[in-house]
Amino acid sequence: MAQYFLEQARVADFVAHLLASNTVYAPHRKGSRSYAFAKADDPAAVVLDYPRTLSSVKKFFLPPREVLLNFDLTLDAASVPPVEPGNAVFLGVHSYDLAAVRRLDFNFTTGNPERNYLARRDGARFIGVSYVPDKFHFAGSVGIDPYDMTGCDMFLTKHADGWIVDIPTGEGSELAAGFKLEAHDEPKPPRAHFTQHVFVPQARLGKVMEASYDHPVWNETADACLGCGTCNLVCPTCYCFNVQENVDIACTSGQRERSWDGCMLRGFTEVAGGEFFREKVAARQRHRVYRKFKYISDVTGQPWCVGCGRCTASCTAKISIVEIVNRLIRDSERDESILT
Amino acid sequence: MEQQIQQFGAGPRELYLPEMAVITEVRRLTELETLYTVELPGGRDLGHKPGQFVEVSLYGIGEAPFSISSSPTRRGSFELGIRRVGMLTDVLAGYAPGRKIGIRGPFGNGIDVSKFTGKDVLIIAGGIGLVPMRSLINYVLDRRDEFGRLIICYGSRSDSELLFPDELAAWEKDPRTEYHVTVDRGTEAWTGRTGVITTLLPGLALDLPNTVACICGPPVMYRFVVMALRGRGLPDQNVYMSLERRMKCGVGKCGHCQINNTYVCQDGPVYNLPDIAKLREAL
Amino acid sequence: MAKPRVAIFDFTGCEGCELSQLNFEDQLLDILAQVDIVEWREAMDDKADEYDIAFVEGALSTPDCIKRIHDIRRRTKVLVALGACAVDGGVNAIKNLHPIEEVRATVYGQDQYLFPTLPALPLSAVVKVDYNVRGCPMTQAEFLRVFTSLVMGKQFEEPDLAVCVECKLNENECVYERGMICLGPVTRAGCNSHCTNFGQYCIGCRGLVSEPNLKGMNEVLTSHGLAVDEAWKRLQLYNAYRLQGVRA
Ligand SMILES: Cc1cc2nc3c(=O)[nH]c(=O)nc-3n(C[C@H](O)[C@H](O)[C@H](O)COP(=O)(O)OP(=O)(O)OC[C@H]3O[C@@H](n4cnc5c(N)ncnc54)[C@H](O)[C@@H]3O)c2cc1C
Ligand code: SF4
Ligand code: SF4
Ligand code: FES
Repeated sequence: MAQYFLEQARVADFVAHLLASNTVYAPHRKGSRSYAFAKADDPAAVVLDYPRTLSSVKKFFLPPREVLLNFDLTLDAASVPPVEPGNAVFLGVHSYDLAAVRRLDFNFTTGNPERNYLARRDGARFIGVSYVPDKFHFAGSVGIDPYDMTGCDMFLTKHADGWIVDIPTGEGSELAAGFKLEAHDEPKPPRAHFTQHVFVPQARLGKVMEASYDHPVWNETADACLGCGTCNLVCPTCYCFNVQENVDIACTSGQRERSWDGCMLRGFTEVAGGEFFREKVAARQRHRVYRKFKYISDVTGQPWCVGCGRCTASCTAKISIVEIVNRLIRDSERDESILT
Repeated sequence: MEQQIQQFGAGPRELYLPEMAVITEVRRLTELETLYTVELPGGRDLGHKPGQFVEVSLYGIGEAPFSISSSPTRRGSFELGIRRVGMLTDVLAGYAPGRKIGIRGPFGNGIDVSKFTGKDVLIIAGGIGLVPMRSLINYVLDRRDEFGRLIICYGSRSDSELLFPDELAAWEKDPRTEYHVTVDRGTEAWTGRTGVITTLLPGLALDLPNTVACICGPPVMYRFVVMALRGRGLPDQNVYMSLERRMKCGVGKCGHCQINNTYVCQDGPVYNLPDIAKLREAL
Repeated sequence: MAKPRVAIFDFTGCEGCELSQLNFEDQLLDILAQVDIVEWREAMDDKADEYDIAFVEGALSTPDCIKRIHDIRRRTKVLVALGACAVDGGVNAIKNLHPIEEVRATVYGQDQYLFPTLPALPLSAVVKVDYNVRGCPMTQAEFLRVFTSLVMGKQFEEPDLAVCVECKLNENECVYERGMICLGPVTRAGCNSHCTNFGQYCIGCRGLVSEPNLKGMNEVLTSHGLAVDEAWKRLQLYNAYRLQGVRA
């Protein structure tokens, strides 16, 4: 496949080229040392070289808050608000975040396909970028290479003073059409190494988890865990939501709204009579980890964790999912029978 | 999983928009429970199976899941038996015939009645668990010859809380229905049996391999009833139970109803015992 | 349907929560249109015998307060506590950490015996409170949620999750990233993470979530450089009453 080269100095021109005929979402600086995807407007403000964004591109397909229904209380009638169609270009997406989108696709197309998600997802084109793993990334351990182009229409690999450009799809060619790119035929530079690793592949993790239901790590983690739900809310593959009713002051109309929820939150598991069936933080920690490495994974064969490192990087209590999983692996390895 | 359904944007059905139905009849069952008869536009059938549920919407108040209490063999409308416990059910308790409510569903797997054909059906219902079981009971009664014996064991906290008294009386009289009832604490007027529901089980004559049991009741009940049935030698694969979890969407999306690896709103609420016996969060 | 009869009272607080002081702008008219205000010291002289809803601001801190709150409870169907002082005792309760005689001497000097004072109490320590509107000053959006619930005749479900949740929904950069110390992880959401949206840290004015991990929170605070006592004082600022006798 032909490769091209985009000098860093021309990145803003390339963004301007895309903006001429597309809505573009791309990483921007946020706060003092963070990044977030936002609608590109000023090409110079787009940042392609970044460790991770606060939220992933998930927020464009499953918004943090979303009105499901508008209702009129005087008429007892409800209507579904129009979903603004997708059709955007997502520039500067890391391979693990795209892998996460594929997992969300699975969740929102299996069983009952969801129109809201699918309409927003429709027509999305992705321009991936490579990244240099920092002290939190471990995507390599869950089988997602930093150069993985799956799902990308264009892919930019960092090299010297610019980016090596791959254009694997027709949509990609359309995006690039009219923008002059030099041909480039040197091989890509070797990928930077990950410093964080999960010790065994998913194929063996199911059994590790199976053997770890009563492992002391859950209680020990719970001692430090604040139950704040941050780890769920920043996760690019978490999709659980809560639904609540908002009513205007005149009490004549309102909205039914959903918002991201998290299984680490105490209220999430409340059942009849004010009982909680995952009352203990320890049980919720186990559920969170099992949701990433066991429950759906047993069915699909894939980890539902994409190794982005967000939950660990943003935990105020410094709880590391990699450390939890590796400890389970180490302890279950002592019991040879599990892993052979 | 990699070969995704790439049909984005193609218009799947609206998952979250309720259909407006009208309450045609309101029957107070006890101080806390009320039976609502609900009619969809044009008297259309809901098309449910026993054991399924609907999401009921009151705009501005919220939405909650309720089992369908009527049998699909009774056409033109359906019934919901609702206990007053909180925000939505409190408001609903003030509703009179003619009021509109939003309905989504039917949802959940329901009971695959074809598996019960020719078998003896043993129903074990505790408290409000009779509401969903009533759908199955009436189904069996309406197609009586397709099934073997119909044995109903019903436990209630007190005789003042017994639901559907006229139906209970009819079952008691019906020679083809074996009806057993017990209450935890009887009032002075109670002449029947006192004790928890498990006390009904040892005395039953059961044709074991040919019997299927269906259990529904408060969470604490399941473990003890399962123990008692195992004690009677009923194989686990003959036991079905309906589980309840908090639900926000009813369509397998919100994650609230998950028990270990299963979504109650999708794979349940009716489970075959061997499928959940190993789920640590289930019973 | 008859309009609910509403009464508004205040006890010990800075009066920052008073409805009249709030920046409701034109919403205030919509609010007033839906209820009959039958008693409100700030705005009218009338006194009523009974009300459907009583909104009460401020903490209880004198024997007279206790008498009055019992009286209000008897007259009202629903009692709503407005603001951190009424809900949790608020900053007032910090005085409870010191012997009451010392507090009186410091505050009133020679006149101390003219002013009977008690440890500051949230309303719920004395009477049944139906709903809370938390915050210092109270969170306006929550007031409107409680208000519309009451008008619609439904119960109000108080949020029981951390400010971090709203902070994440708003995709804020965590202020710990900027070296600040934040009580968001154990503080009850409902303010839409108002302070962190503006780059400020959360001081916990909405009180604690129902089951806070205080030990864990203290570890976070001390690992970010607070001395053990400092960390505890931070937590106590708005939670002094609730944390009496508790030490993580
Ligand atoms: C599949 C299924 C079938 C059900 N069938 C019936 C039925 O036939 N009749 C009936 O009366 N109830 C039924 N329920 C329970 C019913 O959904 C709850 O009672 C209802 O949601 C309470 O709503 P609320 O707004 O009035 O109470 P809330 O104010 O929301 O809560 C009041 C209390 O009820 C508990 N609760 C809330 N929602 C649920 C829930 N979904 N499941 C269990 N507990 C809950 C809360 O923990 C709290 O203790 C069923 C639940 C499920 C999941
Ligand atoms: S982010 Fe950390 S402290 Fe918060 S719930 Fe997750 S593991 Fe617990
Ligand atoms: S800034 Fe405060 S509220 Fe926001 S995530 Fe960080 S700790 Fe939580
Ligand atoms: S109720 Fe939402 S997933 Fe089951």
